Amino acid sequence: MARSEFDVSQEVEFIRRVQKGDGEAFGLLVEKYQQRIFSIVFHLVRRRDEVEDLAQEIFFKAFRAIRSYNFQSSFATWLSRIAVNHCYDYLRKVRASHLSYYSEMTEESAHEVERKAESPPPQGLDHGESLALRDFVGRLLERAPEDDRLILTLKELQDYSVEEIADLLKLKTSTVKVRLHRARKRMLEDLERWRQEGK
Amino acid sequence: MDCKEIRDLVRERWGEELPAEAREHMSKCAGCEVYWRNARFLQAGFRALAEETPPDASLGFASRLVRRLQEWEATGARSEFFETVGRRFVYATLALTLALLLSLALPTTGPVRGVAGADFLGLQSHNQASQPDVVGGEIGDTHELNLGGPTK
Repeated sequence: MARSEFDVSQEVEFIRRVQKGDGEAFGLLVEKYQQRIFSIVFHLVRRRDEVEDLAQEIFFKAFRAIRSYNFQSSFATWLSRIAVNHCYDYLRKVRASHLSYYSEMTEESAHEVERKAESPPPQGLDHGESLALRDFVGRLLERAPEDDRLILTLKELQDYSVEEIADLLKLKTSTVKVRLHRARKRMLEDLERWRQEGK
Repeated sequence: MDCKEIRDLVRERWGEELPAEAREHMSKCAGCEVYWRNARFLQAGFRALAEETPPDASLGFASRLVRRLQEWEATGARSEFFETVGRRFVYATLALTLALLLSLALPTTGPVRGVAGADFLGLQSHNQASQPDVVGGEIGDTHELNLGGPTK
């Protein structure tokens, strides 16, 4: 059995040990959840070189806050919530630099990418075209407001259900549905604006 | 179904097939057809993004993190404590100095030390009252309010 594979009762035991200050037990929890946290951070931030540093900060925060963990939600949800909040703060902080990064791509080249991605239809794209589509939509997502980006990433990229997102963000499911609906609307408007600018 | 209803439906049934009624509308309405194609374009983009694999944690990530946490507990937490205590000490010293300076800067006599409006009301202070009356009155005779009425 790998060090990071353990059942719920063992996990509870490790958490209790960490709450008493056992760093080694925390290491086991880190090993179990590091991939999940890396995935959340990567999809939310979309900066490969920043992922490990951010993940480290998240685990650090979790360690410092673990005494306040009361087992009401699962540890995975609690930890993911810290990760999402941390990334959200990070995105707000680097908002300005993200915009300048986007503007580095000339309009002409962006429209070229879009044209390639659109034709032939998305399901029939070859590898290069799929990459172009991914980059284009990734950039659209990057310039979306943080709230939209957060909710779309969790739903579309991380494949969370509406209920899981509500639990994670401490929102009502109806609120999540409304926000998701609005975020899609704004993304579609942004895409349409982009197309109009290119004509 | 009108265009607004169709577009709401496209966002609600994200990634799902649309009902026949909506498809029929789109076959006649170029705007809604483009809207639906754009939605499909975004869905395909999201799928491609979701397939992107995040980087793996570097070798020894967890053990390095634990070592850092232990170092932080040994030094960081202590220095954080002293930092907090130190900051409070500095604030307290500053407040005390300010209070001391203020007490030195304020005059020991004069209107600031007296009872506000005492002159206006004709109130004589205890200091004045305790002086022997030059006319020969008893000590304490004069400390009463003179509100401008006729004197005895």
